[in-house]
Amino acid sequence: MAAAQQGDAAAYRLFLTSVTPFIRAVARKTGRWTDDVDDVVQDALLTVHRVRHTYEPGRPVKPWLAAIAARRSIDAMRRRGRIGMREVHNDVAYETFADPRANNEEATDTARTLAQMTSELSPGQKEALALVKLKELSLVEASSVSGQSIASLKVNIHRAIKKMRRNLAKHPRE
Amino acid sequence: MSRVETLIETLAADARPVRPLRPPVARAMAWIAAVTISGGLAVYLLADVRQLFARYDGRAEMMALEMAAMLATGVLAIVGAFLVAIPGRSKRWLLAPAGPFAAWLLLSGAGCYRDLVRNGSSDLSIGHSLDCLIFILAVSLPLGVTLVWLLARARPIDPLPVALLGGLGTAATAAFILQFFHPFAVTFVDLAIHLFAIALVVSVTALINRRALSPA
Repeated sequence: MAAAQQGDAAAYRLFLTSVTPFIRAVARKTGRWTDDVDDVVQDALLTVHRVRHTYEPGRPVKPWLAAIAARRSIDAMRRRGRIGMREVHNDVAYETFADPRANNEEATDTARTLAQMTSELSPGQKEALALVKLKELSLVEASSVSGQSIASLKVNIHRAIKKMRRNLAKHPRE
Repeated sequence: MSRVETLIETLAADARPVRPLRPPVARAMAWIAAVTISGGLAVYLLADVRQLFARYDGRAEMMALEMAAMLATGVLAIVGAFLVAIPGRSKRWLLAPAGPFAAWLLLSGAGCYRDLVRNGSSDLSIGHSLDCLIFILAVSLPLGVTLVWLLARARPIDPLPVALLGGLGTAATAAFILQFFHPFAVTFVDLAIHLFAIALVVSVTALINRRALSPA
């Protein structure tokens, strides 16, 4: 750190890299969290940079560093507390009513559910379902496109729908 | 490269040389020395020290102890302010002036009580006590401005304790200097006004702590 105070960039980089795990540990201990710890570490590193002139060469660096990390951790907790008191998370607030196509949250959910439901279908079942139920081809047309016999198509569609119903019952949409 | 690594690279690229601050006690002593010289000069030129002793005739030792307690309150608070402005220094310095401050109140209160018994209820009028308020505030202003300027160089990460100690140190020093210019022995009303002035100075410094001390 003393070398860093004299403008030695390599020493400074080494110092910051080697103290990051310590800052992270102090932040975890002080804040008792895991999600925002990276933000606290970055905040603490920025503070170290701003107050690096207050480190007294020859004195142990750990208490100096621990005080900075703990302070930034406490500041982050207070900030989170303040935000929690004043603000609530509102999904609807993200809807952009001016452009209905932008409000695709529901469509995304539906697509995710559909993907889950069809994930266990065999390729033949998927193909039969897509051609007959989604593209609305006749059984004869679907048979000529896919190469499956009409009887196979019927069986595949029946089994696919049954499996999807079972899937949906197992994982109802939230 | 993670965000932390990117930040470290950015900071390392900005590693300009910085001059480390001198040890906090040395910086505190420099400020105290400057105030002692200027305050001593003002007392030498403007105050009547012999009259000070005449006012406290019969309880000179008590007065000396009282003033020593005032001075100790100021010195400990100022040294503490310089120390707590540096990350990692003990926060116990916040309590350091508590003992001398309590001694100051006790000694001053006992002296006031003795004078009250001797002189009767005439000691309970406000009289010139408001002048004391103005004196403490007026002296605290230049002292406080220079002190805050020096303390702000540390960019304290937790500015409130620094402001509290700095405010107390400033006001106690101003109250100590006031003793040399005080026109009469301190009364209860006077003591209350001194305490009000100190509370006012401490409150103002505490209120402006973030703006004045430019915390990091």
